Amino acid sequence: MTPSRPPTGIDRRQFLQRLAAAGLLAVPGAGLLSACATGGGGTTTAAQGQVSATNPLGVAADAPLDVVIFKGGYGDDYAIAHEAMYKQRYPQAQVKHSASTQIAQEMQPRFVAGNPPDVLDDTGAQKIEYAVLVNDNQLTDLGPLLDAPSVDDPNVKVRDTLLPGVIEQGTFGDKFVILNYVYETYALWYSKPLFEKNGWQVPTTWDEMMALCEKIKAAGIAPFAYGGVNAGDYVIDLNLGAAIKQGGLDVVKNIDNLQSGAWTQDTVLAATQRLEEMARKGYFMPGSEGLKHTEAQTAWVQGKAAFYVSGSWIENEMKGIAPPDFAMTAAPVPVLDSSSAMPVTALRTQPAEAFVVPSKAKNVNGGMEYLRTMLSKEGGMKFAELTASVPAVKDATAQAKKTPALESLTAALAAAGPNVFSWQFRTWYSTYSTLLITETTNLLAGRTDAKGYLAKLQAETDRIAADSSITKYHR
Amino acid sequence: MRYGKYRFIAGFLAVPLALYIVFVVSPYAQAFYISMTDWRGFSGQQNFIGFGNYIELATDGRFWRAMGHNGLLLLVVPLVTIVFALFLAAVTTVAGRQGAVGRGGVRGSRFYQVVFFFPQVVPVVIAGVLFGFFFNPDAGLLNGLLRVLGLGWLTRPWLGDPALALPSVMAVLIWGAVGFYYVLFSSAMKSVPPDVFEAAVLDGAGRLRTFWSITLPMIWDSVQVSYIYLGIMVLDGFALLQVMLPVPGGGPDGSTAVVSQYLYESAFINGRFGYASAIGVALCLVTLLLAVAVLRLTRRQQTEY
Amino acid sequence: MTLGTSAPATTPPDRSQRRPRRHDDAHHKALTGERTLNVFTHGFLAVWAILVAVPLIWAVLTAFKTDSEIFSSPWSLPAQWQFGNFVRAWTTASIGTYFVNSLIVVSVSVVLVMLLGSMVAYVLARYEFPGRGVIYYAFVAGMTFPIFLALVPLFFVVQNLGMLGTYHGLILVYTAYALPFTVFFMTGFFRTLPSALAEAAMLDGCSHSGVFFRIMLPLARPGLISVGIFNFLGLWNQYLLPLVLMPDSDHYVLSQGLAVLAANQGYRSDWSALFAGLVIALLPVLAVYVVFQRRIQEGLSVGAIK
Repeated sequence: MTPSRPPTGIDRRQFLQRLAAAGLLAVPGAGLLSACATGGGGTTTAAQGQVSATNPLGVAADAPLDVVIFKGGYGDDYAIAHEAMYKQRYPQAQVKHSASTQIAQEMQPRFVAGNPPDVLDDTGAQKIEYAVLVNDNQLTDLGPLLDAPSVDDPNVKVRDTLLPGVIEQGTFGDKFVILNYVYETYALWYSKPLFEKNGWQVPTTWDEMMALCEKIKAAGIAPFAYGGVNAGDYVIDLNLGAAIKQGGLDVVKNIDNLQSGAWTQDTVLAATQRLEEMARKGYFMPGSEGLKHTEAQTAWVQGKAAFYVSGSWIENEMKGIAPPDFAMTAAPVPVLDSSSAMPVTALRTQPAEAFVVPSKAKNVNGGMEYLRTMLSKEGGMKFAELTASVPAVKDATAQAKKTPALESLTAALAAAGPNVFSWQFRTWYSTYSTLLITETTNLLAGRTDAKGYLAKLQAETDRIAADSSITKYHR
Repeated sequence: MRYGKYRFIAGFLAVPLALYIVFVVSPYAQAFYISMTDWRGFSGQQNFIGFGNYIELATDGRFWRAMGHNGLLLLVVPLVTIVFALFLAAVTTVAGRQGAVGRGGVRGSRFYQVVFFFPQVVPVVIAGVLFGFFFNPDAGLLNGLLRVLGLGWLTRPWLGDPALALPSVMAVLIWGAVGFYYVLFSSAMKSVPPDVFEAAVLDGAGRLRTFWSITLPMIWDSVQVSYIYLGIMVLDGFALLQVMLPVPGGGPDGSTAVVSQYLYESAFINGRFGYASAIGVALCLVTLLLAVAVLRLTRRQQTEY
Repeated sequence: MTLGTSAPATTPPDRSQRRPRRHDDAHHKALTGERTLNVFTHGFLAVWAILVAVPLIWAVLTAFKTDSEIFSSPWSLPAQWQFGNFVRAWTTASIGTYFVNSLIVVSVSVVLVMLLGSMVAYVLARYEFPGRGVIYYAFVAGMTFPIFLALVPLFFVVQNLGMLGTYHGLILVYTAYALPFTVFFMTGFFRTLPSALAEAAMLDGCSHSGVFFRIMLPLARPGLISVGIFNFLGLWNQYLLPLVLMPDSDHYVLSQGLAVLAANQGYRSDWSALFAGLVIALLPVLAVYVVFQRRIQEGLSVGAIK
């Protein structure tokens, strides 16, 4: 690099100082002039209001609220509804609504400048990785929100209105910092009429699934489609899901806790080998490795494939593309065999759509209050109605009008009961995502085998475990 | 007079230099500093760690793999683009009708000149979306065409095949670039004095001979500059890849990962802005070296006219 | 020369004498061996023309199809021409507004960068002074920097100047980032211009800047046009700078609008509207090109002689 010389007679240091004085050097540039990095404004200068029974979080009634929403599969209509609810309770507050898909690029400078929004929905392909924000102490501990009374009943704390797994999913170390508002459920999706027409039974064990795949293939349809270009990792619900159901929750805890040999546990190996067998037998739509997820899903709703592995956002995402009589239906991942530790109805539920209150926000209390509003009965129902999805609050979908997908999902969740599980390693350690996308597609496209696939994942686990600069979490 | 000269120089340089220092040099200088820290990118805090990031970079397999892909792109894309553009320019400009070398192009040249420039006006984002779809194995134009032609056995999941993804991306880059260099070379060829061609024709030189011994040396200057432009364009190919193959890992099995993507991943996904800045600085150095090397290597062969 | 029909507006002296095309072709028979080459040549030209045109024509056709048609038959015509796609694209992506925003920002930037860049280039090319090499290489080095390395610091520079989210802020940044290329190219260009004219003018009492504005700049017009076109296309496509510096969606430039449109496909599939949006964004540029292509090509032609 050849930066232009400063004017003669001024040395570099003076030059930098003058630039800084002229306001041209940025944070952290300003910080670099002082020899040591300062701790940054630790104490909050956020707006404070009087705590009362109706205002348990101490919101300053006139403090403006800056809300940034990820405008993805769920749109942002629900957020506009929530903002209106907030505005109704605090009419003096200015509520600023912004929607974006490029969260990281647009928000990063605001975080660095110490001027983040009060509520941020940090989601999507361009999200800021949670571990990055947490490790940098950028998020408010939402403990006070959990312990505050709920909007609907002063005798019930917010913590008790949440669906199972929501608190666990948002907890890093001992702090609850992320409210994942959408109760995402992962399943095999299929078109009910298509299965009825062909007399296909949804499989409950892996053997049944292999037999069914053979039948589907014979009918001239691919059993599964996947988006190998950018979303091969969707399919890990098949092997990892089946492995966890087979061996119980310890299987996933070992993985989350970065145990050596976590990825070579018997059930993980067995399930991955069966997935490899499926790929070898051509049960995945040929050419899938060259499709993006949206293209693969489009092929699937057009009847070119029978199953698609995905989270519950799928119906929303394919709205307008799926034929009206498609009747998207969820089925749990089959178990390896009948001796499984968890029943076949068990589901991975992983709350998603990460709402955070940045710790340097101007209106931290208002941000938490906004989340409390979202978690009210009315807030949950608004969301369910506008998105046909399940929010993280109990009983929100009871009265909502149900689409076929939501209906089947509600039934599947009821059947699962307490048998739900989730994994955290991808949230805690961001480098897994890239690896899983690449390696799962390699496995499905026949470029690697189960052992090679798991060896790569184990190597990454060992690398993270050995790297002292990465903050570790435990469950 | 001397005083006036310096005042004039200072006057002419002041505003552009100020702009350049404020908006270009100072951010990059800061980025260089950041590359020597462990900054995560979201707070004002960072620790100075000297050349730690660079030492890590030296042994980072993914970085070197991406560097290799950059090298391949730098070698293939400019070369193929220039060869295509030269060929097209030669036949539409100086190949002549019915063998009359040096006088106008073949029939229809006018039409071709309009059409060939088209891709140049297609924004990169549009080209990315368009070709992402073009290569779609199921509904894409390419496989569709192959099936129509009865070449169904040639269909491939283009962007999903580690052996084909990078060549596919290269093809798009070439598709987009040929037009501009075609026009550039045509113009250069038109500016070669016609007498030179006349003489060659009288000497009985054929079209190929004329091209090699007259046309090419005469426009070598343009070719050389083009290589540098193209090199810079290729290194900036991030936007296209980001739309065509929006994968953090860089295409199937990492086969299209380029340095700028790895930089992006390190910064925005792994939250290592310090490391990402070090990658960027390394990329700068390589580009500079390349520019210098191309200028040096090709200088000798320049022909003055 | 068949192509000679497009006589450049600013024809340098050595190119002005064109010879009429000879109709009796004495060499014709001697060169029959090149007939194969002829066939090959025409074949290649035709194939390349098809390769260039087909994806664009296909995009236009696709923009009129329904989503299911897009996926079932890439080659067929739409059963019913879906003009609604365009309405959806227009309303959801505000292509029209973004188009105008882009036009304002890019046009002003190009004019500015051509002026400032030529001033620097002229001084670097024609004057000896201490620090000349440093300045020249500082600009050349600027061409090699990957832009998003600078994004975050740049954000603060712009913010501290109070220019975030403004047109003039973006224009100044665009100008600054287009300078290296312009300076590099124009320096080479000014070096090749004859100095006799400038010296004569100086003797006549013309000032340094008078020589530049009255004599050298008009002489450099061909170079200015070709660099200007290159800058225009480059800035028109610029996407990272506005992404960070233009956070307000009312002020988005076209490339941002298109990127958002493309990114949204990851979350809600509306292929037909996406293609319609692309066509809306593409056609005006293409139309302008077809109308002005002669001038553009002339600009490039004369610029190529160095």
